[in-house]
Amino acid sequence: MAVALQDQLTQLESARQIVLKDPGLYPQIVSGILPIVGANARLELRRWGAEFLSETFSSPVFPPRQKEDSAVGVLGTLKDLLEIPGEDAAVVKSIVQTAASIYGLVFHYIVANPHDVPIWNQMASIKQNVLKRWDTGPAGVRICCIKFVQKIIQVQTPGVIADPRRPEQNEISLAIVPRDHPMIPPSKLEPEASGLLDRLLNVFQEDHSDAVLVDATLNCLGMLLRTRQSISNKIISAILNFNPLKQANSPMTPKAKVQVKSMERTTRALLMNMYRRNENGPFAGRIKAYVDRFTQLRQDIFDEGSRKRVFPSEPTDGLDNTKRRRLDAELPPRRPSNIPALPPGPNSFKQLFTLTTDQELANFDVTSLPPQLMVNITLPVLARVDQQALTEAINHVRARYLSLISPNRNLPQVGALGDDEEDYEPDFEPSEDREQIINKADALPPEDSLQMPTDLALGPFKLPQPPPLTAEETEQIGKGVITKVFDKMNSLEEPSALKRQKPGLNRLAGSNYDKEAWVTVITRLATRASAGLDDESDEEEGSKALVKKGGPGSSLSDAIRENLWKHIIEDFRARIGIAIAWLNEEWFSDRIQNQAANNSKEGESLPQPKQHYEYWMLRVLDGIIPYLDAKDKLLIRFLSEIPEVNERVLVRVKGLARDPERVQLAVNTLLYLIMMKPPARDIAIDALEDLWRNYDDVKAPAAKHLAKWRPQVLISEVKPSTAPSINGGKPEDIKSPPPSTLTHTSSSTGGDQMETKQEGLPVAAAG
Amino acid sequence: MAADPRLARAVDPRRTATPPQPPPPPPPTQSEQKSLGGYDGVDDGNPGSEPRKEEESFKLRFCTVCASNNNRSMEAHLRLSLAEYPVLSFGTGSLVRLPGPSITQPNVYSFNSTSYQSMYQELEAKDPRLYRANGILPMLERNRSVKWGPERWQDWPVGMPRLSEFQQGKGSKGAEGGIVDVVITCEERCWDAVVDNLIERGSPLNRPVHVINVDIKDNHEEALVGGKAILDLADSLNEAANEERIEGDGKASFDERVPELLAGWQERWPQLPALWTLGWF
Repeated sequence: MAVALQDQLTQLESARQIVLKDPGLYPQIVSGILPIVGANARLELRRWGAEFLSETFSSPVFPPRQKEDSAVGVLGTLKDLLEIPGEDAAVVKSIVQTAASIYGLVFHYIVANPHDVPIWNQMASIKQNVLKRWDTGPAGVRICCIKFVQKIIQVQTPGVIADPRRPEQNEISLAIVPRDHPMIPPSKLEPEASGLLDRLLNVFQEDHSDAVLVDATLNCLGMLLRTRQSISNKIISAILNFNPLKQANSPMTPKAKVQVKSMERTTRALLMNMYRRNENGPFAGRIKAYVDRFTQLRQDIFDEGSRKRVFPSEPTDGLDNTKRRRLDAELPPRRPSNIPALPPGPNSFKQLFTLTTDQELANFDVTSLPPQLMVNITLPVLARVDQQALTEAINHVRARYLSLISPNRNLPQVGALGDDEEDYEPDFEPSEDREQIINKADALPPEDSLQMPTDLALGPFKLPQPPPLTAEETEQIGKGVITKVFDKMNSLEEPSALKRQKPGLNRLAGSNYDKEAWVTVITRLATRASAGLDDESDEEEGSKALVKKGGPGSSLSDAIRENLWKHIIEDFRARIGIAIAWLNEEWFSDRIQNQAANNSKEGESLPQPKQHYEYWMLRVLDGIIPYLDAKDKLLIRFLSEIPEVNERVLVRVKGLARDPERVQLAVNTLLYLIMMKPPARDIAIDALEDLWRNYDDVKAPAAKHLAKWRPQVLISEVKPSTAPSINGGKPEDIKSPPPSTLTHTSSSTGGDQMETKQEGLPVAAAG
Repeated sequence: MAADPRLARAVDPRRTATPPQPPPPPPPTQSEQKSLGGYDGVDDGNPGSEPRKEEESFKLRFCTVCASNNNRSMEAHLRLSLAEYPVLSFGTGSLVRLPGPSITQPNVYSFNSTSYQSMYQELEAKDPRLYRANGILPMLERNRSVKWGPERWQDWPVGMPRLSEFQQGKGSKGAEGGIVDVVITCEERCWDAVVDNLIERGSPLNRPVHVINVDIKDNHEEALVGGKAILDLADSLNEAANEERIEGDGKASFDERVPELLAGWQERWPQLPALWTLGWF
């Protein structure tokens, strides 16, 4: 019997080899094999058969049409195998996998053959049988049940009809079922799928879910999330409420560690896959937060964070840092203990020059001695003073003095922080810093050449204060901070338009920590934080020029401004709002500073504050103008919302008219300013007039508006478009009387326009 | 199984990586990320010199994955195939990168279309001394004896029968169906890439697969150690899978036992951090 069995298996295997080579033979081979591996066959054969069927129906080379026919044909065998009492787990596993593969095929068959009741009944009883095993079977079977259920859900929820003209290409889903199907009415199937989904997602809520079940569920949800819009929100919510670390209570067995880590990483993999697919989706923010939180938690639990501090396991050579460091660590402390450091805070000259530690001596008042006695004492002492000790003492005082007058003296003392950090991070090894400090100290004049390292017993080690930051360092660090703030802002998502509308006037800028809040923080940092402080650095320039010398910000606020400007120009269409907010802040800040300057008494040395608004407003404008196209509303919005428009702005607007395509843009912008921005009306009309005079392309559109706002110009002007040179000889050709009328509308009023620049008139007309 | 001398060695958690023979000339640029030429493992520990017991008819099918399908995955591929497991191997990188004369000049080849043989010939023509010294040529020599050329995981049509000439090699017997039961990656980012790619494929085949990462540094000594460790893992998984199939014993499901087996393995190989999930083809 055993030999016969072996022969049979060999034959079956060779049949398998044939179909692997030629998938066209699948239908015959499958139907030929079924009787051999049916419910009455020996276990080995049933196992082989079940495995073969699961392979066959998952095979991508088995043509779908034939696969569907074969699927209908194997239902009976599958049903019989499943109904064998106490059937072998391996067989059941393979059968459930096969069932998952054919469910869609049979479904598709029933859609086309609505009256083949027996087939659907067979499928239904297989389904019932599998669902019964979902909670009770061995884990290997249960995971396959999970996949089967996922497949049912996928089939029984509506998918997307890719191309209604080619139904054969549509994915199998509820969407291809006619509403009035007698056997599988969508109205019944969809609730069933929904119920199964609830049960499927239940695995995330149970207290002691097996990791293998959780992973199996997570890893099959991707397809549903992607292709089944109607249920994807529910699935994501369920995952986001899942805590993969809830079983991570110490002490964990090694097995529990593997399981907890696995669940966390699998959840993360699925979420990151969703996140990458749609980084602006409604859940993107929550996904990111979830992933970050659990990465942190996992690292805390498994102490993975400490791994990066472990020294490399590779052999180290003599140049290795670790060795160098050890040598340094053996150096005696540089600072001798008998020259005390200056106490913090403001120091008196007495403190500065006091080098002794003897309190009595330090408090001795030398002035109480008569001068003659002083001379008698001092001269002999000076004569035999140790030259080295003196130099040493002078250097010491000099070093103290330098540190006192250094402008950065008032910066926070980083050293104090370092001590705290040491407490928080037990394995923090400050030797690097110490090394740097010692290197710095080496560059200083020797302080302790007299101090012999005789006292071998080391006192308590005190981390020396780091040297004060220089101006350049401060600036560099400041720039680093700015970059960080910008990064933070960029990393935040844009608040949805819906949310943004809500608060209206009650909105409090920067109240919730979204992107907008950071914009507010940044603009205020630039405009207010150091207002008035920067000016002194430029005082030697002497110039009170409005426009500062170029180059990346010489001060912190200018560096912020520079970054802000770049940020806006990078994507000015989306960020024009930021530009407007910023420039409003600048303008406001300029005004406040001017007020402060004016309020102070005239004789006061308070310098005229530097004005930033105009410079940066023009830079923004210069940055965007080259990219504007003819129909852009952006320029109008920008100019209407910034607080102040001046001639320099209009020069740039006029510049647009040089490009024939953007003439209309220039004119419309000016017209908008004339109509909607009364303070800028006059200069805008001037600009329009100028355009009209000097740009041929602008003649017609400008004339139309001039006719309304400053008709006298049209009357009084010669027509320069054809032969400007003829009139070139005339003085004041701007105001020369017109030899001909340009437009019909304004011709009647031509006579009385001798006082050309009468400003009040057009404004009144506007009202 | 206990009679197997290789297993006795594999169980030893100490790193007995030092091959019996002296190691090759000093490996250049230890810290380099790329595969550094796994030194040919054939002579070492003669993993295939004695045939495995044939009575175990059931074998789990394995797949090993690293970045370039050259060093770590190929060492493990060789090991597993010599132990008569059906095994495939892949790389998850965008291109096959082998170390060149300097760290900025790697030799780059495309997956699926370059054979180990052609790489071997090209590098041998370029600078035989360098590439022999850094272990690349010996590694390619080993690889060309295992299979035709490096394959990319992302391009693998899972479930497609593997019968073509190019797909034959060590371990291809038993893996003709183009599907495996266990994927073993050699680096965490490869594990990430594999898991992500499986989600991306949408699990159309409904076939479960255990995806296990064994973190191995990309140099040839570590690849040797890793290969042994992977064989040890494969043996313990396969043993459990066979126990499940003993008739009448239905309670200890193989899939359920994987975390426990992996935990046990991790205790034996503490220096190779492991990670696992159950995914779907």
